[in-house]
Amino acid sequence: MKYRGAIFFFVGVAAALALGWIGFPRVIYARRVQPVNFSHKVHAETAGSKCEDCHTLRADGSFAGIPGLAQCAGCHTAPMGSTVAEKKFIDEYVTPKREIAWAVYSQQPINVYFSHAPHLKLANLKCEKCHGDEGHADGPRVYEQDRIGGYPRDVWRSMLMKDCIRCHHQNGLEHSCLDCHK
Amino acid sequence: MSSTRRDLLKMTAGVAAGTLFTPAPWRLITDSAILSENWPGIFFSSHGAPTEKFTNCALCTAGCAVKARCVNDRPISLAGVVKSPICALGLAGLHMPFHTARIAHGDAENAAAAVRAAQGKVAVLDLRPGRTASWTYRRAMAALPGGIYLAPQRILNAVNLAAVKTLVSFGAPVLDGWGTPSKVLAAREHFSLIQVEKDQSHTGLLADRWIPVQPGNEPVVAQQIARDLPADGSSLFLSSAELPSVLKMNVTLGNLGHTVIARNETPVPAAWSKQAAAVHAIQNVADRSIGALLIDEASADVAVPWDVIAPKLTNSAVVITFASTQAGYGRYAQFVLPAAVYPEVTTDIPTAIDSVVATFRLATPLMAAPSGVVDAAEFVASLAKLDTKDALQERAASIHATGRGSLLSYSDQKSRPIKDVKADQFWTALNAGACWSDSESPLKAPRWEATIATPAICEAVRPKPPLFTKLYEESGLKGIAS
Repeated sequence: MKYRGAIFFFVGVAAALALGWIGFPRVIYARRVQPVNFSHKVHAETAGSKCEDCHTLRADGSFAGIPGLAQCAGCHTAPMGSTVAEKKFIDEYVTPKREIAWAVYSQQPINVYFSHAPHLKLANLKCEKCHGDEGHADGPRVYEQDRIGGYPRDVWRSMLMKDCIRCHHQNGLEHSCLDCHK
Repeated sequence: MSSTRRDLLKMTAGVAAGTLFTPAPWRLITDSAILSENWPGIFFSSHGAPTEKFTNCALCTAGCAVKARCVNDRPISLAGVVKSPICALGLAGLHMPFHTARIAHGDAENAAAAVRAAQGKVAVLDLRPGRTASWTYRRAMAALPGGIYLAPQRILNAVNLAAVKTLVSFGAPVLDGWGTPSKVLAAREHFSLIQVEKDQSHTGLLADRWIPVQPGNEPVVAQQIARDLPADGSSLFLSSAELPSVLKMNVTLGNLGHTVIARNETPVPAAWSKQAAAVHAIQNVADRSIGALLIDEASADVAVPWDVIAPKLTNSAVVITFASTQAGYGRYAQFVLPAAVYPEVTTDIPTAIDSVVATFRLATPLMAAPSGVVDAAEFVASLAKLDTKDALQERAASIHATGRGSLLSYSDQKSRPIKDVKADQFWTALNAGACWSDSESPLKAPRWEATIATPAICEAVRPKPPLFTKLYEESGLKGIAS
C-alpha cells in the first residue's frame, strides 16, 4: 500500500501528541480539593471584603499570607448564611478550633525569598498581576500538584523565576542572586 | 491489513517524534532536577509571624552581633546590626545544623568509661581557648589525677588596628576572616597592606602589594621588609602560622605597646584561677605520655596537625573528639561525640584579636540542638565530678562585680556603664545578645619573650633536613635552612 509507512508514522505522532497533551497532565498531577469550599466572590461582593482585609501585611512588613482560623472565626463563630459549606466549615474547623490545611497554589521553593511589601507598596502591583482573578472566584479551584517535583501546577503557569525576571527587566530592575535566594 | 515489524518501527519513530512536541519529556527533565527539593526530611521553615532576636555569632572569635529573624523558634535569616555587618559565613550560619554530614549520635557512656580506664595522663586539647568552657577544662584537669590542659599557644594576643599604618601579613587572611569584619573594614583606609604568601589568597588579591614566597623563606623576607619600615611602632607583622621569626619583627620595629598590645583577660571568679591547671603547649608534652585525649574541636579556631599529637599518645591511648562531623579528628578518634553547632550553642566568645579591651559576649541559642548532642565542657566536668552548669552565669557575676566597663545592647543601640546595671539585668542583657567591654586603659606592651622562643607548630612538623649528619650540624648549611 502506498504511503503505508507514513500512515503508521503519523499515527504514532498523533498518539504521542494525544498522550502527551491530554494523558500526561492527568498522570503527572495529583488532584485534590481544598479542605473548605471557600467563595472569594461571596466575601468580596456580598461581604464587601477587599484582598488586604484577610491577606494582610503585619506591622513589621512581613506578609501574613492565607489567614488563620482566628481571622475566619472572627465572623463565622455562628453561621452567617445558609450554605452547607459554611456549616461544614464551622462544624469541622471553627468549633474544634482546628487550623485549615490549605493547599497553597503559589508555593515557591524553600530557597526563594519573596517579600510582598515592596511589590505591593513600592511597585503598587495589584494582587491579580501574579495571582490571577482569584478574588472573584466562586469556589476554590482543584489543587493540582506535580507528583515528582511536588510543586503546584499554578507555579508553572505564571510564577516561575523567568516570570519574575521578565517583569523586573520590563521595569528596569536588576538584582543579585542574594536578593531572592537567601 | 496486517502490520509488519517495519510498520511497528515506523509507528515507534512517530511516537518518539511526537513526544518531543509534548510537554512530557521537558517536564520530566525539570522534575528530575528538582525531585529532591521536597523529599521527606528536607527542612522547611514553618509559617508564622517572625520575631526578632539578638545574639552573637560563635563561628569565630570576632563574635559579631547578629540580628536573627525567627519563626516558631527557628531562625529564618541572620543579619548584622547597625555599623557591624557580618561576613558571608555568618549570613549562612543558620544552615549549619542541617549539614548532611552532621553526626547525631555518640557513645558518651562508653567514652567516659574509656577515659576512666585509661593508663597515662588525661589531657584536654582545647582548640578555642579563652572561653568559660576553657576554664572548666582547666579546673577539671586540675581535679583529675594526671590531668593536663593543652591549648595552642598564641604569640599575638591583641592588636590595635587604629594605630597601624603598614600591615605586613604572612598568610594571615586579614581581609577574609582574620579579625572582626567591621573593625577591619573601618580601619582599612588607614593602613597599607602587604600580603606575603605562597599562593595568592583573597586577601592577596585585595592587598596593596602581594609578595610570593616559598615556605621556609619567610624569615628572610620579613627581615627585608622590616628594613624599609620605620621603627616607630606604626607597623604590624602577622603570621598565620605564628612564626616566631616573623612576629619578632614587631619587637625590632618597636610595635610592642603600640600596634601589638597586652590586654587584660576577661575577669573570672577568683576561685577558678586558684583551681585551674596550667596551660601547656602540646609540643612540650613528653612523648607517649597521654593515655586519654579529649579534643574539643566543635568551635576550633586553629588546628594542630595530627603528626604533632600522635607521638604524645601511648600505644593504647583513647581519643575522644567533640565535633559535629567525622571529618576532623574523628578520623583518628575512637569516640566522636556530637556537638551542638551554631546557632544552637550556648557559649561565650573569646575576645577578638583586634579588640584593645577585654569583652564578654554570649552566643545564645536560636534553635534547640538535637537530643543526642553532648556538651563537651559538661562531659569533662563530670569526669572530675565538678558542677559547672551555671559557669557562664558565675563568670558574668564576677565581671559585674568588678564594676568596670560598659554594656552595649544592640536591640536599642545603648551603652551603659556597668555601675548603672544590676546583676540580674546584666545577665538578662547578655542573654539577649548584649556585649560587655572592659574600661579602656593605657596600652601596654606584652611580655612575650618566652613564647617567641617556643617553635611554632608548623616548625615542629617540618621534616628534618636529609643531611642530618655531624658534618651538616657543624657546617654553615644549617643556619641557612632555619
